[in-house]
Amino acid sequence: MSQAPIKLAALRSLLSARFPEKTRRPGGAVGTGVPAIDAALGGGLPAGRLTELVSGAPSSGGQTVFTRLLISTRAARQRVALVDAADGFAPEAVPADALRHLVWVRSRSLGAALAAADVLVRDGNYAVIVLDLRGIAERALRRAPAAGWYRLHRAAEGGAAAVLVQTPCELVPAAPWRLILRVPQTLADAGVPLELIAGRLEVQTTRGHEKVG
Amino acid sequence: MNYAVLRVDEFALHALIRSDPALAARPVAIIAGEGRKAAVTEVSPEATGVTAGLAVTLAMARCPGIILRTRDPAAEVEAHRLLLAAAFTLSPRVEFTGAGCCTADLQGGDPVRTEAQMRRSLTELARAGLAARIGAGATPLLADYAARQADRLLIVTDAREFLRPLPLAFAAPLPGHAEIVRNWGLRTLGDLMALSKAEVGLRLGAEGVSLWERAAGESVRVLRLVEPVKTFVADWAYEPPVESIEPLFFRLRRFAERLALELRGAGFAAERLGLTLRLEDETEYRREFRLPEPGADVDSWLRVLHAHLETVRTAARVAGVRLVATPTRPAQRQDGLFDTGLRDPAAFWENLARLAALVGDDRVGTPWPADTHEPDVFTLERPLESVPAPANPPVHPPRGQALRRFRPPWPVRVQCVDERPVGLKGEFAGGAVRAARGPWRGGGGWWKPGEWAVEIWHVELAAGGIYQLAHAAGEWRIEGILD
Repeated sequence: MSQAPIKLAALRSLLSARFPEKTRRPGGAVGTGVPAIDAALGGGLPAGRLTELVSGAPSSGGQTVFTRLLISTRAARQRVALVDAADGFAPEAVPADALRHLVWVRSRSLGAALAAADVLVRDGNYAVIVLDLRGIAERALRRAPAAGWYRLHRAAEGGAAAVLVQTPCELVPAAPWRLILRVPQTLADAGVPLELIAGRLEVQTTRGHEKVG
Repeated sequence: MNYAVLRVDEFALHALIRSDPALAARPVAIIAGEGRKAAVTEVSPEATGVTAGLAVTLAMARCPGIILRTRDPAAEVEAHRLLLAAAFTLSPRVEFTGAGCCTADLQGGDPVRTEAQMRRSLTELARAGLAARIGAGATPLLADYAARQADRLLIVTDAREFLRPLPLAFAAPLPGHAEIVRNWGLRTLGDLMALSKAEVGLRLGAEGVSLWERAAGESVRVLRLVEPVKTFVADWAYEPPVESIEPLFFRLRRFAERLALELRGAGFAAERLGLTLRLEDETEYRREFRLPEPGADVDSWLRVLHAHLETVRTAARVAGVRLVATPTRPAQRQDGLFDTGLRDPAAFWENLARLAALVGDDRVGTPWPADTHEPDVFTLERPLESVPAPANPPVHPPRGQALRRFRPPWPVRVQCVDERPVGLKGEFAGGAVRAARGPWRGGGGWWKPGEWAVEIWHVELAAGGIYQLAHAAGEWRIEGILD
């Protein structure tokens, strides 16, 4: 009889003992209010995990996703933190009541934004932490040390918050989930309710390690 | 117990070691005098074989690794202020009795609470690097005797029982009288108290009566009270200047320990911390930190300062540092029955302070749109303790793609046909316009200096992307992207 299954079981046991957070069942999900994203992630942004949302084209809906996330989490009375690396968030674009659960960190640099995200993922009071890196030059983003991302991964895995990283290009190494918005919106939708626009968004999943329970 | 005495023996030495971390657990001696007359005045327990009064040369011979230092007045002032701050947490009536000694008038206080506070103060002083002892008794003198006898805290309830075994030297007899009473066969305070006060007075005069009263701990005096501090400031000059964060951070920790104690003693909490670094090139680096939750917690202050200092690069070495705490009354709050509050409020406010240190006080908070139609005007408010129930849905729900701003806006040249944009030329975005909507005109503030007027367009470029253009004062700018 082959010894392979026994060795595999021993390896699995060793790995689960060494990396318990990797084998832990995820602790729920936070709905984004964008059907395509919630469907792709199996219910919403996975808690204790890092999800990368790439804005693959200008006006492809990244800010619509964030606005819907704000409205959706406000209804559930969940606290949200936004680390805004390029200081691009426009509060007037969101209904005033949908801002009351938001903590907005207006960063001046990429380094400060990553440091702020590192503080927030360890906090424990937030349901969602959004790190918005859009508006930062791709060259600067690529220069960010990979160790920082792994540190963020580890911190996210130890916490209860869902971490959403919005990027202008595929960036985060070893992101458990990577979704890409590729279809540019048009001005024809200018008068359409945001909820309907969000309902039409299409996402492409290029990386997805696990289903959220 | 009516009085408490806080005492630090070998105060100059302790103040010096507290001020210089390199001296901790090392053989150190304080010396005074010059040349051949230089002698040891205070010595740490690690300097084996060395005692006070020993000549410096002998001290070096007996303990080859001994570190010899002269007194450090600045370190002593800082340690005195710390000791006074601890005394003020016991009572507002405090006397600066002498080097390393304070007396607090506890009359009228709750003995149980006062004792608990004395234990807390000792712990805080020890954490701040000052090994103090506290004695408490019915008179200042009795409290002083108790402090000298205490391991840590000693409260005298039965004065006669406490005094009986103490050596006569505690009552500090005059040299001549010391000889006389020794010849009488008296060795302890109890021996002297066993004699009649009047008989002692007959033989030794008024000073004899005074000696008997001191032996009985009955000597009552009026305390020379010092005023509690009203400004919470700590300052230090480095000699030589420093260029790394460690000595700076060590000093800030010492400052924070003292200021937090002073604030607590005065019933205050800090709402702001002001940090000033004096640089070698005679310039200054200043920064003020607004604490989201007023408090007097040393560790949370230090996390704020550390998070900021790690990002600071100065042009010259740091020659001095100053920390100012702005006092406020501590916040009082009672949670509502159905509040969905924070899971960990301490971590929440502490982390907000750290974020403020990273990006700036005015750049963290909950955005709140201002009551105006002027674009991009809002305030950042302190986040709510609990997320309230959602309001009714807005009558006009948001329509169209959400705006993401470019701060500052991008300058752009716009080509118009029939007063409608048809092409953009700019450093960051440009090209033919496929579709345009607008203009939406707005204006306001005509009654005050900040008058504004703007014309807004939404344009979709042929290459993709919907942008918001603003036309004001003859200039075009791209304000953001509709995303």
